[in-house]
Amino acid sequence: MRRPSPAAVRWLLLAALLLLWELVPQTGLLPELFLPPLSKTLKVLWLDRVEYATNLLVTLHEVVIAMLIACGAGILVGALVGGIAVLRNLMLPVFSSLYAVPIVILYPIFTAWFGIGSESKIAFAGLYGFFPVMLSTAAGIRTIDPQYLLAARSMGATIPQQITRVIIPASIPTVLTGLRLGGALTIIGVVVSEMLTASAGIGYLVTRYRTILDSAHVFAGILMILLLSILFDLLARWVERRTLVWQTAGRRGPSTATDTTTLPAPAPV
Amino acid sequence: MSAIEVERLSHVYAGAEGGVPALEDISLKVEAGKFVVIVGPSGCGKTSLLMMLAGLRHQTTGTILCDGRPITDPDPSRVGVVFQEASLFPWLSALDNTEFPLALRGDPREERRRRAEAMLNLVGLQGFGARFPHELSGGMKQRVSIARGLVQDPPVLLMDEPFAALDEQTRMTMGHELLRIWSQTRKTVVFITHSLTEAVYLADEVLVMSPRPGRIVDRITIDLPRPRTYEMMATDTFGKLRERIWQQIRKPEGAH
Repeated sequence: MRRPSPAAVRWLLLAALLLLWELVPQTGLLPELFLPPLSKTLKVLWLDRVEYATNLLVTLHEVVIAMLIACGAGILVGALVGGIAVLRNLMLPVFSSLYAVPIVILYPIFTAWFGIGSESKIAFAGLYGFFPVMLSTAAGIRTIDPQYLLAARSMGATIPQQITRVIIPASIPTVLTGLRLGGALTIIGVVVSEMLTASAGIGYLVTRYRTILDSAHVFAGILMILLLSILFDLLARWVERRTLVWQTAGRRGPSTATDTTTLPAPAPV
Repeated sequence: MSAIEVERLSHVYAGAEGGVPALEDISLKVEAGKFVVIVGPSGCGKTSLLMMLAGLRHQTTGTILCDGRPITDPDPSRVGVVFQEASLFPWLSALDNTEFPLALRGDPREERRRRAEAMLNLVGLQGFGARFPHELSGGMKQRVSIARGLVQDPPVLLMDEPFAALDEQTRMTMGHELLRIWSQTRKTVVFITHSLTEAVYLADEVLVMSPRPGRIVDRITIDLPRPRTYEMMATDTFGKLRERIWQQIRKPEGAH
């Protein structure tokens, strides 16, 4: 028998999971309070589609702005910290340690400063996503093979040319990895802060329906967050694959093959 | 006029107690169109010397003239450099890599494309321009490096152990190919290697350097006829030249 492709297996697993989601509560194996059937979840999602859509828009708006802040500031600070030795020695240990701190403890302060509206979510999630972007940008710039710069100089590259034509393209793979991780953390940051203190957003809906023990509505919210994260991840991978044809394929080793039909997915973070 | 003229060049690495002397009183002349090979033990400073010839590093004292004018900074119109490996940009295709020096100085697109393609043809890579470095073998990568080094048509080509990372068979082929390219372009070549066979096979003249601080302890004219052939490696003359270089290199420090 021919072995099924990994993609086929993944789709089968997903289908099985969705089927279980429907069948386990239907057959009474789990009470509906713990796990409402998929069909019921989808039904409330449809019935209250206006409420979910408005709140999804709030969440999306927060996510997008927080991502812009996290990526912009992360790349900027990361480039400075990675490129300038003094800053690197001074700040990188501090930033690395800060990354390990559960930043969520700062969220109450953020609500005091920015209120319980979108601003506090954006600030918190932006900060949350900033660290991986900053750290990987710094790492990407620091680990550029000095041979590339030497070669560029030998060909007469000025400093600005070295930056635009060598440093930036050479650090793109690591930076993109950071963006993917940072983007995912930004989504987490927004949802978590919405669940803690908020007046709108999908995270807020999940918490509100949980307090009134309305499982179907809770799961409908969870489903939306899940889809949002998956969509983001697909988008990030697509961008990575588009940008890094030379790099992803390079991981296959020094082959001279030109077969580009089966590019492996980028390594997990 | 000599293509390269080095006068009383010395170099001291900054460090404690006045620093570490790396190169001592090096003077040499390379006539235009000659193929000069520099050999010497590891750490003798031959790569440093080459970097200075390329304007990539500054010597402590002494002068380097190329085409009669001093070299202080990289000048790709006078000196092309081929490095050991990993110096092709992996995000650029072979053609874009070859074009890179022309793109830096802002040549029009058509012009540099035409020139880069001609160089790829010269090094035997016609039809490979669209490949990325990871899709090329080690030997092909070095061919691209050579094409890139020649694309601005500099009179001098500096090569820092360009074939050191290749397997022996590829290395032999590449040596042969390099001589063909050299005879077609008549560049002045300064070539660094660890391989004595490679040195004798390629060179018009071999310069032997001492261990640190590096000095030139011998200059050996290789008067084997050209074009060189693989069969020459088995001859007595070849063996004797190789032996003479080896005797110079194995001498313990201070015995010169």
